[in-house]
Amino acid sequence: MSNRFWRGPARLALLGAGIAAVAVLTGAGTAAAKTGASCGTVTLNEQAWSGSTANTYVAKYVLEHFLGCKVKITNIAEIPVYEAMAKGKVDAVLEDWQHVAQYKQYVHKQKSVVLVGSNGLTGHIGWYIPSYLLKQYPEFKTWKGLKGHESVFASPEAPQGMFLGGDPSYEQKDTQLIQALGLNFKHVTVGAEPAEVARFTQLIKQHKPVIMYWWTPQYLNAQLHLVEVKLPKRFKGCKDDATAGGNVKAYACAYSSYPLEKLFSKQFATSGSPAVKVLKRWRWPSNNAQNLVAKWIAGDHMDPAKAAQKWVKSNMKTVNKWLGKK
Amino acid sequence: MAVAHGQMVDAPALAVLEHRPWWRSRLTLFTAIVGAMVVCYFALSHTLSWPAALEWTSLTGYLDRFQAWLSNQGDAATPNVFVRVLNGISSGLNTLVTWLYDAFTRLRWPGTTALGTLIALRFGGVRAGAIMLAGFASFGAVGLWDESMQTFALMLAAVGLSLAVGMPLGVIAGRSTRFNRAITPVLDAMQIVPAFAYLMPVVILFSVGPGAAVITTMIYAIPPAIRITALGIRGVPPNTVEAAASMGSTSMQMLGKVQLPLARRLLLLSVNQTILFALSMVVIAGLIGGGGLGSAVTNGLYSNPALAVLAGAAIVVMAIALDRVTEAIADRTDPAQRHADAAGWLRTRTATAAAAAGVGLATGLAYAFGAGAIYSRWTARDWLLHYVQNALDYMANPGTFLFRDITNPLGVFLVVHVLQPLDAFLAEPPWFVTFAGLVAIAFVLSGLRRAVTTALMFAVIGVVGEWQPAMHTFSQVLVATAIAVALGLVLGVWAAESRTVSRITRPVNDVLQTLPQLVYVVPFVYLFPISYIPGLLASVLYAFPVVVRLVERGVSDVAPHAVEAAKACGATRAQILLKVKIPLARDAIMLGVNQGIIMVLAVVVIAGLVGSGALGYEVAQGLQRNEFGFGVVASLAILALGIALDRVTQGNQRSQRESERG
Repeated sequence: MSNRFWRGPARLALLGAGIAAVAVLTGAGTAAAKTGASCGTVTLNEQAWSGSTANTYVAKYVLEHFLGCKVKITNIAEIPVYEAMAKGKVDAVLEDWQHVAQYKQYVHKQKSVVLVGSNGLTGHIGWYIPSYLLKQYPEFKTWKGLKGHESVFASPEAPQGMFLGGDPSYEQKDTQLIQALGLNFKHVTVGAEPAEVARFTQLIKQHKPVIMYWWTPQYLNAQLHLVEVKLPKRFKGCKDDATAGGNVKAYACAYSSYPLEKLFSKQFATSGSPAVKVLKRWRWPSNNAQNLVAKWIAGDHMDPAKAAQKWVKSNMKTVNKWLGKK
Repeated sequence: MAVAHGQMVDAPALAVLEHRPWWRSRLTLFTAIVGAMVVCYFALSHTLSWPAALEWTSLTGYLDRFQAWLSNQGDAATPNVFVRVLNGISSGLNTLVTWLYDAFTRLRWPGTTALGTLIALRFGGVRAGAIMLAGFASFGAVGLWDESMQTFALMLAAVGLSLAVGMPLGVIAGRSTRFNRAITPVLDAMQIVPAFAYLMPVVILFSVGPGAAVITTMIYAIPPAIRITALGIRGVPPNTVEAAASMGSTSMQMLGKVQLPLARRLLLLSVNQTILFALSMVVIAGLIGGGGLGSAVTNGLYSNPALAVLAGAAIVVMAIALDRVTEAIADRTDPAQRHADAAGWLRTRTATAAAAAGVGLATGLAYAFGAGAIYSRWTARDWLLHYVQNALDYMANPGTFLFRDITNPLGVFLVVHVLQPLDAFLAEPPWFVTFAGLVAIAFVLSGLRRAVTTALMFAVIGVVGEWQPAMHTFSQVLVATAIAVALGLVLGVWAAESRTVSRITRPVNDVLQTLPQLVYVVPFVYLFPISYIPGLLASVLYAFPVVVRLVERGVSDVAPHAVEAAKACGATRAQILLKVKIPLARDAIMLGVNQGIIMVLAVVVIAGLVGSGALGYEVAQGLQRNEFGFGVVASLAILALGIALDRVTQGNQRSQRESERG
């Protein structure tokens, strides 16, 4: 009896709460829909390295601040992002390290992804050592000087001399190079980029010798005073990617340097959004510019949005070029 | 905890230890085989790897072409039915997750908090409510509210769907032995094959975004739901089932009124485990558009490790809160307490109404006072980041006492005196010596059938061309498992004997099972800057909690009458433990060892990313450089290794039980 008496009000209360909620929900819907009238939403993909964070946030600041776009940032891994662009889920990637196999599949065959030129940076892979080593062993400037001195780089797991290999996602040929150049290094895979950084900074802090697979642009290079070891000159038909297989002699040259590419999804490239033009012109004036922003973000732990704002404010000349103003 | 395979310990018969002459005992035979292998190792000094003639090298190419074909299918102008169905699934899942996330947004942060807390309070009691509230408070405190809500929406969808798929299959597997036998290898594969290997096909089939993230999470979270449910159904006493059958129950009645209610405790465990497994996939899900805390972890690794730690902590908090709340809800819905009277009904209805009103009120107030969708005021983020960064800096400093006198020498010792010799011992002798030795060990430990499986699996490893890397990985897996099992045994037995220890180990286990390894492996590289050690430690930390839980449960579940009898005979506590409890809990302990191995294998890829190299590195390379076939082949080798190790340790239980009976 009392049961029934209470059921009524209880239901009523539920109903009341429900109505309130619905009212609130519909009200909320209309308030949010009014941003970025002319440009709409642009989806940029931020990749896991700090340089990419710098690219994405600088571009985001420019698009939002000067064009009134709404920029969404996704964090999809390097290879799956191609599939995302093919389906139009990501509009642009601002730094791509020449994924030739993907270009074949998505750019040339499917034509679902478009190459829109360099982002102003030149990527280069090489063998790097800390500069203090050169004081004691000036001959380490070139690979020839390493010969016979491999044991300088001895480590517990490689008493004959350790070569620190690179991140699994980057192209490499160090095992082949070591063999082809007749060096007695043991190639040790140290894993992903943060693990490699951890490993060699630990050695550098202790002023110990280290030689590794590394690249530029990278903000740490200046901070840790890394220098490149000169490898044999490139020759015709010289290969860079060990997965191609074949004779090791074919790998006996320095890695090539190449421009880092910007990629648009086909859908975005043909959308006519004002952001397309600006992102096409968007390029760093030099490797150092990106290194600077990356250092603020990764080295000084500055909020990426603030770092981007700081850089844009003091580089309006470059930004105006991107915007097409004189 | 992952109860995965498995026979539960039925009421243990008194263990009669077998008596064989010493020269035929397992230990002697094992030692003899290893001795022979050592002799071969020194006698046959040159490496003779798996012969290239016995390798199937074109497999990789086939797999690559298959992937390109899949990708082109999805891109075709007129997609076929198959593609359209998949697109439907993925957009359905996207909608589901987005809808949940939007609901959180529209409720504003106070409404969302009230919703979670009041649901927990209403169905789980005061403690559950408080836990949920604390969970939400900590998402706000670390300043990762939005990320947490994205992950929360993703996980709600993934866990709900995993249970919706897994539990019915588990019921079928529990009632049909044939189905169970058919599905077991599939479940093994789902748990052991690293997510990195199937990430790209998932992306091709389901595109990127929350939908693909849900699918990936489900692949890993469904197996425990199926396995534990099946275990529960099978654990219902047969005499009860027979009694119900003799009273004329239909099949459905039997299930609904007898088997499911009686399997309640294990069904609950399956919910808990599904939650923990799902949350351990947050980071991987982030790689393909899952967003949220997973992305915060991966990005933090490169640019702000302290932030990655906070995001990892938020994942752990979410896992523990969900786990404790579902547990509390389940305890309160115990059928034994469900026969409520009129007054009881009244109370529950009022409580429901009050909870709903509370959510409405919180949301209303939020709008009235202009609270945002995302909580962003007064966070302790900067303060926390500062302290976490200090701790990380301390770990990264080679000048400290910790590094100089403890971690670095320890790491060097392990590599030079344990890992490298074992690695050389397995990888350097001619392949047939290692092959024959390992198969012989399998035969001695677990009989002919298991030995044949082992031989087959190692043959697969050779044929796919992964013999050398697989031996490197194998040696690391062995060392990691040995450490994890030793640690797990000690802590598990201790926890079974002492409530205090048990109370400490449980949250520690939860943290270690759900904290993404990526959060702590990089600090490990700083502390132990030597190849295999960081990966080894990560495997140990992920695997030993399972061993602790299974051992603890096995030892504390030992039939009380056996303990009483021993006490009556005047046995000391140590004697009871060593002579009664541990022998009687042997099955559970072996299950722990077996699960420990599976968990160690689950970390192989992460280990490869921080210097363990070998198979794990190859799998990562496969995903990240789009060498699909290459990654799949390496994963196949991991799977083969897993199945071989799994069957050998499982076979042990069975052959021992058989020898006890016979």
